[in-house]
Amino acid sequence: MTATDIALTAEGLSKRYRRTWALRDCTLEVPAGRVIALIGPNGAGKSTLLRLSAGLLAPTAGTVRVLGEDPTANTPQVLARIGFLAQDHPLFKHFTVAELIRFGRSCNRRFDRHLVETRMAELGIPLDRRAGALSGGQQAQVALALALAKHPALLLLDEPMAALDPVARLEFLQVLMGAVAVDGVTVLFSSHAVPELERVCDHLVVLNGSRVALTGDIETLLAEHRLLVGPRVSAEPESSATIVSATHSDRHTTLLVRDGGGPTAPGWQANPVGLEELVLAYLRRTPAPTAEAVAA
Amino acid sequence: MTWLTWRQHRAEATVLALLVAVAAAVLLLLGTSMHGLFPHGVARCAGGSVAEGCAVALQRLWEEHGYASKMLSLFNLLPFVIGAFLGAPLLARELETGTWQLAWTQSVPRMRWLAVKLAALGSLAVVLTLALSAVVTWYRHPLDVLDGRFTADAFDLEGVVPAAYALFAFAFAAAAGVLLRRSLPALAAALAAFLAVRVAVAGALRPYYASPQTLANPVTAGDTTVDVGGPRTSTGNHLDWILATGYSDAAGRRLGLAEVYHMDQDARRSGLDLATHLRDRGVLQWVEFHPAERFWTFQLIEAALFLSLTAALLMVVVWRVRRRAL
Repeated sequence: MTATDIALTAEGLSKRYRRTWALRDCTLEVPAGRVIALIGPNGAGKSTLLRLSAGLLAPTAGTVRVLGEDPTANTPQVLARIGFLAQDHPLFKHFTVAELIRFGRSCNRRFDRHLVETRMAELGIPLDRRAGALSGGQQAQVALALALAKHPALLLLDEPMAALDPVARLEFLQVLMGAVAVDGVTVLFSSHAVPELERVCDHLVVLNGSRVALTGDIETLLAEHRLLVGPRVSAEPESSATIVSATHSDRHTTLLVRDGGGPTAPGWQANPVGLEELVLAYLRRTPAPTAEAVAA
Repeated sequence: MTWLTWRQHRAEATVLALLVAVAAAVLLLLGTSMHGLFPHGVARCAGGSVAEGCAVALQRLWEEHGYASKMLSLFNLLPFVIGAFLGAPLLARELETGTWQLAWTQSVPRMRWLAVKLAALGSLAVVLTLALSAVVTWYRHPLDVLDGRFTADAFDLEGVVPAAYALFAFAFAAAAGVLLRRSLPALAAALAAFLAVRVAVAGALRPYYASPQTLANPVTAGDTTVDVGGPRTSTGNHLDWILATGYSDAAGRRLGLAEVYHMDQDARRSGLDLATHLRDRGVLQWVEFHPAERFWTFQLIEAALFLSLTAALLMVVVWRVRRRAL
């Protein structure tokens, strides 16, 4: 990939809070022009990775580059190209929507006021309403519109739909997908719920135990993996490198393998794997040994 | 950025400006009647002078405005209120509500965001306190002329030190806010620190900003200022800041209270008054003081002290915001 194809690269990116590592030795590459899902259980380091990418945190070790630039430099140039929507979509609660728009204009060289006002009109959110008086879904919409009004090249969303009801989730995703279609913005968003991402994302990053457990194009990943169901085996089969997980019932053994297809052993049946199942299998695995442990 | 700062802090700014305005109005009202007691200027009544009308004016000053000192001691908290109420929410409120993530992901780098806020709110704190100390200085004019400007209700409220106190409270509240991440605990911590530092500096450091001057004179017979507890010796200027007075023997050795007490007993036994008794023994009375002209030197030294503390606290704030290592 060339530099313009890559929205975000991290190399050995680590963040430690006092004694605990929030993110450890994270190395990944995120392609531009895609909608990337960042999945992991609570405490996996999703928020930390997003905050590091937005320049809100300084890494303890390693580097992160966003659109070819170092976000920790915190320059107006790099800030202008990143849209960030924090968890629980914080807004100045005492500001009216109109004042939030004014805030966006006063703190950005480029701010598409028209975009926000149009979006608010479409959603029926009055401009003179205080942000604190809006519903959770409306607040999320306002926060998203403010982030989109910067026309960022990369949009970072931290669990944007965690607090939303199903209808609000749907509306939120519609707006987001509309922006992707119009602007071609790269979206990296975190979640711990897989189903809602399946329809909108085409790239996947799975974080587990503060490390990257799996990353890649979703279609490719689904094609590379398959479920093999066969008679129960007590010992783990050989060539375990390709086996992601094995589950045993009374009579059957189910293996999730990453072998890119190929012939199946006699007595075994191959099935395609769903995204949720795939993600869960990787999340259940114990995190890979640390770099230091391998080096030692 | 300017608009954002105003919009976010206009509530505190308005309330504090009103507070200063009300305090100033009260002082102007009370001060007008106090100044009216001395239609020919207060200077002619100073230093125990017996100019015409002074006895009445001073009597009325005592009766009608005797509360001034107590009232002004309350004003000592105003620099804290002004500084801390602007400083505490500066970062704590953003951290409390998560809006730091909104504010710092616009196109304004957060060090610039911080610089604008610190400069704007710090300047406001300085302007409000300077306005207040200007009014207090005007109000206290007759008292300053009569009692000097080194008393606690004068030195701490006049000149430039109140502005330095306010900046110290501002910086401490901002630093506590970024460390504690909540406005109210930050305010409480700032109040504790403000009182502790103010009391410690005024009590333990201020007398030593310069080495005191000492005057020593032989006790003269019949001197009515002579007292067992210590002489009420004059330095020649009633505006000087007198730190201590006492007696010493002819060799210059300072006498303890017990020694003077025994001398007093001796004097009584021999039927003499204490002054005569002391004179016969060649006892000197001494006074240790700072001359009144040192007022501005002391003001600048104390202001510099609080400004250095302010600078150190602001460095903590800058460091925390730069790293955001919470």
